[in-house]
Amino acid sequence: MDYPLFTPAIGGGILIAVISILHVVVSHFAVGGGIVLFALESLSIKNGRDPVFRNAARRGSRILILVSTVFGAISGVGIWFTIGVVQPAGTADLIRLFVWVWAIEWAFFLLEIVTALLYYSTWEKVSPRTHLLLIGLYAFSAYMSLVIIQGILSFMSTPGAWPRTGDVADAFFNPTYLPGLVLRSGVCLLLAGAYLMLAVLAEKDPAGRARLVRFLAAFESMGAALAAAGYFWWENALEPAMRLVFLGPKPLLPGLSATRNQMMMAGLLCLALALLALLAPRFQAWPAAVVSLLAGFAVLGGYERVREGSRKPYVVRPHVFSNGLHAREIDSINQRGILEKSRFARLETGRASPSATEAAATGRAVFRSQCAACHTIDGYLGIRKLTKGADTETLNMILTLMKGDGEGRKKLLKGEEAPLDYPLMPPFVGTDSEQDALAQYLVSLQEVRDAR
Amino acid sequence: MPVETVPAESVFPVPGAPAVVHALWLLTFFLHLVFVNSVVGGSLLGGLSTLVSGRGWKVAELFVELNSWAISLAITFGVAPLLFVQLLYGRFFYTASALLPWIWLGMLLMMAAAYYLNYIAKFRFAAGKGAALAVWGSALLFLGVTAIQVAVNLLHLRPELWTSVATDPMAAFRYGEFRARFLHFVLAALIFAGILLAWISVRRPEKGLDPLALKARAAFGMRVALVATLFQIADGLWLLGAMPRQVLRLWMRQGVLEVLPLLLSIILSFGLLAFLVAAQDPMANPKRVRNALEFFGATMIVMVGMRHQLRNLYHEAAKAADPVQSRAEWGGFLLFALTFALCLGLTICAVVRSVKDRPPEGEPVA
Ligand code: HEC
Repeated sequence: MDYPLFTPAIGGGILIAVISILHVVVSHFAVGGGIVLFALESLSIKNGRDPVFRNAARRGSRILILVSTVFGAISGVGIWFTIGVVQPAGTADLIRLFVWVWAIEWAFFLLEIVTALLYYSTWEKVSPRTHLLLIGLYAFSAYMSLVIIQGILSFMSTPGAWPRTGDVADAFFNPTYLPGLVLRSGVCLLLAGAYLMLAVLAEKDPAGRARLVRFLAAFESMGAALAAAGYFWWENALEPAMRLVFLGPKPLLPGLSATRNQMMMAGLLCLALALLALLAPRFQAWPAAVVSLLAGFAVLGGYERVREGSRKPYVVRPHVFSNGLHAREIDSINQRGILEKSRFARLETGRASPSATEAAATGRAVFRSQCAACHTIDGYLGIRKLTKGADTETLNMILTLMKGDGEGRKKLLKGEEAPLDYPLMPPFVGTDSEQDALAQYLVSLQEVRDAR
Repeated sequence: MPVETVPAESVFPVPGAPAVVHALWLLTFFLHLVFVNSVVGGSLLGGLSTLVSGRGWKVAELFVELNSWAISLAITFGVAPLLFVQLLYGRFFYTASALLPWIWLGMLLMMAAAYYLNYIAKFRFAAGKGAALAVWGSALLFLGVTAIQVAVNLLHLRPELWTSVATDPMAAFRYGEFRARFLHFVLAALIFAGILLAWISVRRPEKGLDPLALKARAAFGMRVALVATLFQIADGLWLLGAMPRQVLRLWMRQGVLEVLPLLLSIILSFGLLAFLVAAQDPMANPKRVRNALEFFGATMIVMVGMRHQLRNLYHEAAKAADPVQSRAEWGGFLLFALTFALCLGLTICAVVRSVKDRPPEGEPVA
C-alpha cells in the first residue's frame, strides 16, 4: 500500500507461485540429493569400492551442481525479490521478526555451497574418506537449511502462540512446523530418487542398473509415504477456518480443493511407479522416470498452492493481508483515507484516462491500492466479471459489508472468534467518499464494456 | 520539504544492536565485492584478451575456472548484505526495487544465464574447444546485472527521484550519478582482475603454460589495471560532482573525521597508481604486484565504508532519515554467532582437507 504498486497481468500471487514452485522443485532435490548421494557413495566404499554406485554418484554430482548451486541459489534469491516487490510490507515484517533465523540459514547456505563445489571438483583427487566427508557435510547443511526455513514458511499460515507471547521461538515452532517438515522431508527423498533415476539409466551394465534402480526406488517410495503422512498431519494442524477454504462438502475455493485432489493423484502415481520400479527394476525406462519426476513436481507444486491458498487473504495470519494492509491499521485508515497512505496510487490519479470523471479516477487509485493485489480487470479473479450487472447501490452495499469485516478482522487479531461476510478478502478500508469513488469506478468498468 | 512517498516503518523493531548489524553488513558486503570484482572484471578481461591475440595466454580459461567458484560465492555473500539492507532500510530498498519490478526480476534471469554460460565455456575449454562467444556473453550479462544493482541501490538512496522513475523506469539509468557510479564499479572490477591476473601469473601459474605467454599475460593484466586506474580517478571526481549538492554540503559540514575516508581514498588511489607504474614489468617486480593488490584491497575497504557512511546523509538530504527502532535480542544473535562459527569452521575444514588430501600413487582415490 505504501509502496509502488506492482500488479503484473497474471496477478502478483500467481507470479510468486510460479517462481516459488520453480525454486522448490529444485531446492528439495538439492536437500534430498545430498542424502541419496551420501548413501550411494558410502555403500560403494563399503562394498569394496563398487564402481556401479560410485559412477552413479559421480553422474549425480554433476546434476546436483548444475541444478542446485546455480538454479537453486538464484531462484531462491528470486523468491525473495518477488515477494519484496509484490508484498513489500509483509516481507519487511517477516525480515524484522526473523532476521537471525535467516542469518542462521545463511550460515548453513555458505557451508552447503562450498561443500557442493568441493565435492564436484575433487573426484579422483582426494581419498574416498575425504570425499565422503564432503558429501556428508553437504547433506547435513542442505537439510539444516530446510529445517530452518520451514519455521518461517509455516509461521505465515499458523502463527501459533506468537500473537499472544510475541516470542520468536513460539513463532518458529508453530503448529504446522513439524507436519510441514515431515512432508517436505518426504518430498526431498521422493524428488532425489526421481531426478537421480534419470542419471542412473545411463548405466550400461544391466545388472548394475537394476541394483541402482531398486536402490533409488526405495528412496522414492519411502519419500512418498512420508510425504503423505506429513500432509495429512498438516491438514489436521490447520485452524478450522483454514480448512473451510479447501476441505469439506462446500469448500470456499473449489479450485483449491481440486488442486488438492490432483496433488493426491500425483502422489499415488509416484508411489505406484516407485513400487513398480522396486519390484521390476529391469523394466525401468526413461518414460516412467520422467513421468515419476513430473508427478513429484505436481505433488510439491500442489502442496505449495494449497498452503498459500488456504492462507488467503493473509500473507501473515492474522496480521498482514496480501494487499499490504495491516490489521492494526484498519481504524486509522478508515479515518485518514486510503489514498493518504497509498501515495504511489495517489500519484496515478493524475494518469487515469482523460475521459474518466474525477471520482472514477480516484476510485481507480483506490482499486489499485487495495484490490489489484488479487483482482485483475479481466484475467485472474477479473473484477469486471465479478461485478457484472451491479449498479452503484449494489456495489456500495458489498463494500459496506466488506468494510464491516474490519471489525471482525480486529477481533481475529486479538485471538477472538468473529464471523465474516467475506472470509477470503481483506476488509475494505477508506473514507466514505473513497468507497463511493470505488463503486463509481467499478460501474464505469461495466459502461466501457457496454459501449463496445 | 520531506519526500512524501517514503513508506511507513515496520512496527516491529530491529531485533539486534544496530552496531552489530552494521558490522556484519560491512564485512559481508566487502567479501561480496571481492568476488563480484573477480566475476565482472575477470569475464571482461577474458573477453578482452581474445581481442588482443591473447589466446595462448589462457586468460579466459583461468577466469572461467576461477569464476565457477566466484559466482557462487558472490551470490552467497550477496545474500547477507541483502538481508541487512532490508532489515534496516527496507522501506527504501523495497520501494527502489518495486519501481523497476521487471528489470529487477529480469536481473535474476541474466544472472542465471551468465552463470550457465560460464559453465558452458568451462566444459568447452575442457574439451579443447574455443568459447569466445560464451565468455563475451557472460561478460555482457554480468555488466547488465551490475547496472541494475547500481540503479536500484542509487534509487534507495534518493527518494526524491522516485516520482519521476514511477512514470519512467528507464530514467533510473539516465542520471549522471548512475553513470558515474556504474563506471566506478566496472573500473574497480577491471583493476582488481588485472592485478589478480598478474599476481597469479607471477606467483601461482597454471601448469604447462609457456613462460613467454605468462610474462605477456602478467604485463597485460598490469597494463589494464593501470589504464583503468587512471580512468577511475577521473571517474571518482565525476561521481563527486554528480552527487546531490545537499549531500556534499552536509558531508563537508560534518567535520574532519567524517571527511577523512575521502582523503584517505584519494591518497590510496594515487599510491595504487604508483605501484602499478612501478610494476609494469611484473615478472621483474613480483613484490610490487603484491603491493598493488594490497593497496587495492585497502582502497576497497575505505570505499565500502564510505559508501555506507554516506547512506544516512542521502536520506537526511531527502529529509527521510527517521531513526530505526531497535531492541537488542542477544539470544537470536548468539544462536546465529554459534551457528556461523560452526559452519565457518566446517567450511574451512572441508577446504583445507580437499586441498591437502592427495593420496600417494597406488592409494585409492574417490
Ligand atoms: C486477498 C485477495 C483479495 C483482495 C485484496 C480483494 N479480493 Fe475481492 N475477492 C477475492 C476472492 C478470492 C474472491 C472470491 C471469488 C469467488 O468466490 O469466485 C473475491 C470476490 C470479490 C467479489 C465478488 C463478491 C461476490 O459476492 O460474489 C467482489 C465484488 C470483489 N471481490 C471486490 C473486491 C474489491 C472491491 C476489493 C478491494 C477493496 C477486493 N475485492 C479485494 C480476493 C480478493
